[in-house]
Amino acid sequence: MTSAADNSPPPARRSRELPAPPARWRRYLGENGIQRWVFYIPVVFFVLFFAAPMALTVVWSVFERTQFWMEPGFTLFAYDNFFTSARAENYLYSMLHAAAAVLISFVIGFPIAVFIRRRVTRAAQHRVILLFILPFMISELVRVFAMRPVLGRHGVVNSVLMDLGILSEPITAILYSPLGVIIGDVMSFLPFMIFAGFLALEAVQNYIFEVCDDLGAGRVRLFADIVLPLAAPGIFAGSVFIFVNSMGVALVPTLLGGPGAVNAGLIANQAIVALDFPLAMAISTIMIFTLVLLLYIGHRLFDLTKILEPIS
Amino acid sequence: MYDDFASPWNIRLKWVYLLAVVFALLMPVFYTIGISFNQHGFGARIYEFTFDWYRVVLGDTLLVVSLKWTLYLAVATIAATIPMALLSAKFYKRTRRKVAFVALMLSPLFVPADIMGSSLLVFFKNLAKGFAWLGGALDVGWFDGWFDLGFLTAVIGQVIYTHPYAFIVILITMSRYRVQQTEAARACGATAWQAFWHVEFPQIRVGVFSSCAFVTILSFNEAVRTALLKGGFDTFSNMLVAQMLNIGMSGESYAMAGIMSIVSMLVIGSVIVYTLVRAERLERRARAMAEPVMSS
Repeated sequence: MTSAADNSPPPARRSRELPAPPARWRRYLGENGIQRWVFYIPVVFFVLFFAAPMALTVVWSVFERTQFWMEPGFTLFAYDNFFTSARAENYLYSMLHAAAAVLISFVIGFPIAVFIRRRVTRAAQHRVILLFILPFMISELVRVFAMRPVLGRHGVVNSVLMDLGILSEPITAILYSPLGVIIGDVMSFLPFMIFAGFLALEAVQNYIFEVCDDLGAGRVRLFADIVLPLAAPGIFAGSVFIFVNSMGVALVPTLLGGPGAVNAGLIANQAIVALDFPLAMAISTIMIFTLVLLLYIGHRLFDLTKILEPIS
Repeated sequence: MYDDFASPWNIRLKWVYLLAVVFALLMPVFYTIGISFNQHGFGARIYEFTFDWYRVVLGDTLLVVSLKWTLYLAVATIAATIPMALLSAKFYKRTRRKVAFVALMLSPLFVPADIMGSSLLVFFKNLAKGFAWLGGALDVGWFDGWFDLGFLTAVIGQVIYTHPYAFIVILITMSRYRVQQTEAARACGATAWQAFWHVEFPQIRVGVFSSCAFVTILSFNEAVRTALLKGGFDTFSNMLVAQMLNIGMSGESYAMAGIMSIVSMLVIGSVIVYTLVRAERLERRARAMAEPVMSS
């Protein structure tokens, strides 16, 4: 037997109820009020604290230097100082080292991205990618620092090679040298080539690979004519990331490069320590222009928005 | 595997290569952790296990204070970054100017730490001077100290750095969510907030918590921007840099590097294990639902 109370609709779950705001507030809190504008907070924040400082860097780079700071004016002294000193040469060298780091990262990392995309089952692909998240998430500082006992005179590499009888005396060229900087850059940024390559390949449908296999395309042809063009946006994004960070992260030459090793980031840092703020801003400006130019060329050539297709 | 005709040895070799790269990336870190537990430090022939270096680090008041500051910074960064990343991901879904928006949100990834740190340092110094001038012009003390280098500026620097990562993780999780569910909720009378909180959020919760973990780790590990923007306090990673540059590779430095690595591995390891277990559970459930019901 059921009572009348049992037939009544069940009470709504209290935890799910939200008290309605008073009528006069609804206009302000409603979807045409605050709710509409709240989505612009990140845009405002990034324009104010990221885009504006980056743009103003150009302005500050032409300010006049004072003893401890700078004052408004227009002078190209900082640029003149940069281009007519050893700094410009160091900048070009750091570009060369960064290009070598990109190339090595591509040769080591991109085949892994292709392998994961083509040979690992769809369900397991992201799990394999997670393997590379772990080293990427350990502090770059620690990873670079950890290279010292590995590459050093009495480090793991030399000890193993000497124990195996391959070397009679330790190699000293792999630490506190340009080669040490390149190794450090590759170890620091390699996972990014794998992530970006994989993300770009994720947008490529499986049937494309199957058709190539069915038509008997060889590995080289498949790689050069199919995989490379389709993954070009990802490869480019990964390459720019590695290139720019290899040039701009001062930690690597500081810890692995030894005396005299510099990159753009370190030159900017040294200028700040010397309280030469216009010079630091001039170096930052040159770096930002390099970055913007690379991204613009990349976007025109490969349409970088394609990388985001799988998550759009 | 997709290709049934591929040579199994070929595929095994590729797996060996993949794992060798993972090993090469992680080996230096594990080697450093190994040294940090050696009584005799780096390069010694004898290995004597000890916690002494860790005791020295955790017994150093300055280092403990720097750990506290690191923790406060991480909490403040999470509190600001995660809601902003959620808003950004929602905005990305609805905006028509996707390219410009994504370019703005992801650009910090491509600006090296030292360059961004230098620019923000000069920006905040100018902003602080600007506010001080404004206070003087209006003859009020209210603007004094605004944007002076300190905790707030360090948090802003870290938010700019961590936001792109959190944004991508949340966007990936959101890409699996079907907007029709929100539309259905709205058609049933739910407000925009109710539709988000009761329908959408439970489905993207994993992504939000994962990005919390990522932001914690990124904030904990960040050294360069924080060093330039922090003002008068020190974080753990800044102390490690100072230690490495001033004292060199001591047992204490190895222990500090060990603490940073172990904390990162524990947090990210837990996220990875949780993600794998959850994916396995969902897969099993999907398989069970797909199986035909057997008639008796």
